[in-house]
Amino acid sequence: MKKIFCLIILCAYYERNVLAAEAGMPQLDPAYWPSQAFWLIVIFSLIYILISKIFIPKIKSNLDLREDKIRKDLEEAKMLKEESEKKLKKYNSLIQAGKIEVKKIIADGREKLNNDIQQKRREIEEKIEKETKSAEKEIINFKKNSINKISSISEEVASNLVKDIFGESPNASSVKATISQIVKDSKI
Amino acid sequence: MAANPMHQFTVYKIGPKIEIMGIDLSFTNASLFMLISAVLILLLLTFGTNEKKLIPSKVQLLSETLYNFIAKMISDTAGKKAKPYFPFIFSLFVFILFCNMLGMLPYSFTVTSHIIVTLTFALFIFIGVTIVGFTIHGFKYLKIFVPSGVPIVLLPIISIIEIISYLSRPVSLSVRLFANMMAGHTMLKVFGGFVISLGLIGGWLPLTFSVALTGLEILVAFLQAYVFAILTCIYLNDALNLHH
Repeated sequence: MKKIFCLIILCAYYERNVLAAEAGMPQLDPAYWPSQAFWLIVIFSLIYILISKIFIPKIKSNLDLREDKIRKDLEEAKMLKEESEKKLKKYNSLIQAGKIEVKKIIADGREKLNNDIQQKRREIEEKIEKETKSAEKEIINFKKNSINKISSISEEVASNLVKDIFGESPNASSVKATISQIVKDSKI
Repeated sequence: MAANPMHQFTVYKIGPKIEIMGIDLSFTNASLFMLISAVLILLLLTFGTNEKKLIPSKVQLLSETLYNFIAKMISDTAGKKAKPYFPFIFSLFVFILFCNMLGMLPYSFTVTSHIIVTLTFALFIFIGVTIVGFTIHGFKYLKIFVPSGVPIVLLPIISIIEIISYLSRPVSLSVRLFANMMAGHTMLKVFGGFVISLGLIGGWLPLTFSVALTGLEILVAFLQAYVFAILTCIYLNDALNLHH
């Protein structure tokens, strides 16, 4: 208890002394003015020298580097853009030419096809005509033949009939004449 | 002790006492946080420039964004002639930004909340810009105090005002950053103290404020670094191009 009491008194005494010394603004106490000015000059000179000799050139070079790079990149981009535009134009013209060519090819092909078809049709028509003619001819021939055949068959049938009915074969020439007469009459 | 909102700005010695020609140049917590900021910046830039990828990694993107952001800021305000000063503005912006942001971490120390730090920067810029102006334009640089198109009667008054405004540049430049950082951090501390003192019942309101203020302070941390850098660009522009 006594110790604590002593401590409090000591503290109070110390505090009073400090407060007395600190009356007013410490800034106006010139005791440490030279020291502060001196250290300020020393430390600030140090910073100034380091900043002006090392750091500012470094930052500046880096900024310049970046600016250069950006400018170069922009230029390159511009160049590439122009080039790509050129290429696009070329491509478009190529496509245009291709389209024209394709149209031409289509038109040509169509014409050729038409011609081909026409020709084929003509050929076929000619062939059909020929065949028809030959068929007609054949039919006519056949008709003629058939008439002759019919007369001979009828002669035979007639002579046979006569033979069967009368027991003797008739005269061939008279049968023929009779049949031809009948054919003429019936106008076959 | 912790209730004092100004306590966070105390500078104390770390390590042995360094004394050169009777001046105390000891390594302090302020120096420590400057060093941490510097190391963080160098780490970020090292990893950001380590590999030169066409499609940047996240860290690389961060460093390149930073580069483009500052390059655009300079070309917008000071034109092409300011290109040799690009590394300086870059270092300035990055250093102040990292110091401010590092200060947003609890229990850390805000380097830029000390008037001597911002004044060193502002005086360096002021003297540097004046030297640049005189080397480029010679004595014609004094024309900056004589705006064209002003009636002769008003000229002496205007010139005096211009001279005063020119000479107050380092003060306004340094006090703007210092006051913003100090005020913000003090306010955060005060609201943080209220959270404790008002307890479980009433502490919620200052806690809400504290959270909102933290967001605001992060914005201020970025904004003040930006304002510092852009004002430097504007002063440089005046020296390089002599608009008056």
